[in-house]
Amino acid sequence: MRRFVKRSDIGIIIGCIFVFLLFSIWNPQQWFNWGTISNVGQYTAILGLLAIGQTFVILVREIDLSVGSVYGVVGITFLGLESSNVSVLVSFIVAMLLALLIGLVNAVVVIHGKVPSMIVTLGGLFFYRGLIYVTTHGAVAGTPQPARENWLSQFFGGHWLGIENGFLLVLLLAFLSATALYQTRFGNHLFALGGDPASAESQGVPVNRIKASAFCLSSLFAGLSAIVTLANNPSTNVSLGTGMELQSIAAVVVGGTLLTGGRGTMLGTILGAFFLTAVRSEMIALGAPPSWYIAFVGIALLVIVTINTLLAKRLKAA
Amino acid sequence: MTKHAPRRLVAGILSLCSLFTGAVFAQTDHYRFIMVSHIGSNDPNMNWLTGSMKTFEEKYPGVKTQYLSTNEYSLQNFIAILNQAIATHPDGIAVPILNSQALQPILDKAISSGIPVVAFNISDPRPVGQRIKYLTYVGGDEYLTGVKLGEHVVELANAGKIPKPTRVMVANHDATHQGLKARARGMTDAMKKINVPVDELIIGADPAQARSVMQSYLGTHKDVNYIFCVASWSSPWAYSVADQMGLKPKLADKGLTIVTVDESPDALEGIKDGKVLECNSQGFWLQGYLPMEILYFNKKMGMSPISDVVTGPIIIDQTNVDEWIKFVKSVVGEEAYKKQLTW
Repeated sequence: MRRFVKRSDIGIIIGCIFVFLLFSIWNPQQWFNWGTISNVGQYTAILGLLAIGQTFVILVREIDLSVGSVYGVVGITFLGLESSNVSVLVSFIVAMLLALLIGLVNAVVVIHGKVPSMIVTLGGLFFYRGLIYVTTHGAVAGTPQPARENWLSQFFGGHWLGIENGFLLVLLLAFLSATALYQTRFGNHLFALGGDPASAESQGVPVNRIKASAFCLSSLFAGLSAIVTLANNPSTNVSLGTGMELQSIAAVVVGGTLLTGGRGTMLGTILGAFFLTAVRSEMIALGAPPSWYIAFVGIALLVIVTINTLLAKRLKAA
Repeated sequence: MTKHAPRRLVAGILSLCSLFTGAVFAQTDHYRFIMVSHIGSNDPNMNWLTGSMKTFEEKYPGVKTQYLSTNEYSLQNFIAILNQAIATHPDGIAVPILNSQALQPILDKAISSGIPVVAFNISDPRPVGQRIKYLTYVGGDEYLTGVKLGEHVVELANAGKIPKPTRVMVANHDATHQGLKARARGMTDAMKKINVPVDELIIGADPAQARSVMQSYLGTHKDVNYIFCVASWSSPWAYSVADQMGLKPKLADKGLTIVTVDESPDALEGIKDGKVLECNSQGFWLQGYLPMEILYFNKKMGMSPISDVVTGPIIIDQTNVDEWIKFVKSVVGEEAYKKQLTW
């Protein structure tokens, strides 16, 4: 029990149990409706994928503000190639290579340029969004029908036994990411670097390589999230991904990962994405104006982070 | 009434242009006018405005026009660009009144320093005596857009051609945009006459989020049978959500009906394919051209129109959509038209 309470994601686990029970009692018809489950599952998958990538970066005491624009630019590249009759597979590979390249650029400027990641990725947020506007002139064509029916589009955007493939994919990738964090040397190095960079470096942790991997993973997950979105629903706009960077950070922080690095879980991140999505969906269903959601995210952040801090202090005192 | 609208619009453009033409005015005057706009490169409608300003420049050599815009839905950024434009002391400014309270002090200062201002696309909704002292307003009437689209729905429903509205959801991507709010208000007032409730839903600009929000709302508001998308690019999103939820958004199925705005390829092809009931034109081309010409004649001869120049709405539906598709393709080009299609 004591070990359970010490978890960094205890706040979000309690939060999720609370909202699940609350909605089950308050609005069971809507909450257990298949349409709601599918809707919450699909958006949790999109936000969850972004947030998994963001978790790697935050764990090493950095931040990636460019993920919303990376999500946009990778998605629009994917669509653009498809509508130019490039095969879906090649479009996917090129789009993901672009994501990897962006992650590498972020990493190189942060590591070798010694520029804070907040500044580098803030620049990326504006630059990639601007690139979308300049290259598309405000219009993004939809995906041609054959591309929509392609096996790869169906793999990312289809269903399996009525469950969105995107949701299954995020669960699988969250599990693999958690395994990488807790069962591999890479994970050990990541936590060590986030916990105490100087000590990690003195113990031979390849600091630059670990940081670069975190930024690359962040961009790759953002790109994958965009492809899951567009494979599921190929009609989009240049506003694709607007504001997603802050939502992804909110999911990670609500999920118990410390912004100071070194502590966090993938389970917490996925639950954070689920919590934010489920509460918004129910707020709208219960008749609250969607604008209230923004205020709610602020309150949720404060409440859950406070729960985490108080529990940590009590344990320390005991 | 609406069938010959594109021809009438072109005729209107030509007659207005000819009003001001003449060799005497083609003499070189070195003025610099700025259009500060919220319609940026993230919005294909920008091409109407920049295209018509180019035509103006060709007609009045020596007069330079400049198009400055934000690329996101942010009033704060818009104000920053407007302030920068005023600081360069141009000979005139055309500006949409996105928020009259916020823009009043800035524009009052510009006007009192001798910079003439023309409002375009979105007017100050207050009465003439109380509104910002711009020369005139050139643009559609945002409130009237909602009213006319709503009235057209009622008219067709009464004729038994489409289902009678039971509840309308307005899908709005920007809670701070006065013009979009006015469209929603217009639809609300049109529906009020037949006692149909209207809910405004702020869906956000990101497509995935917008779909999720709409799906949550439609899941609990089963009586909604009309969606009014206040931007045409969100109409395919509304359609796909309704389709996935089994709400039968195809017009022929007489389930949920989608109404939208603007003569964009998405709206026009949606109407042609029977996925969207109607949209409107607010005369975007004129909104780029006329403010420049009004500023020119104000600067040169002190002239200004005695009333606002209302350029829309003109309703587009199945009866006139083919003509509009031809017209829009002739302005933006076949290739650009195809590129703007997101269905």
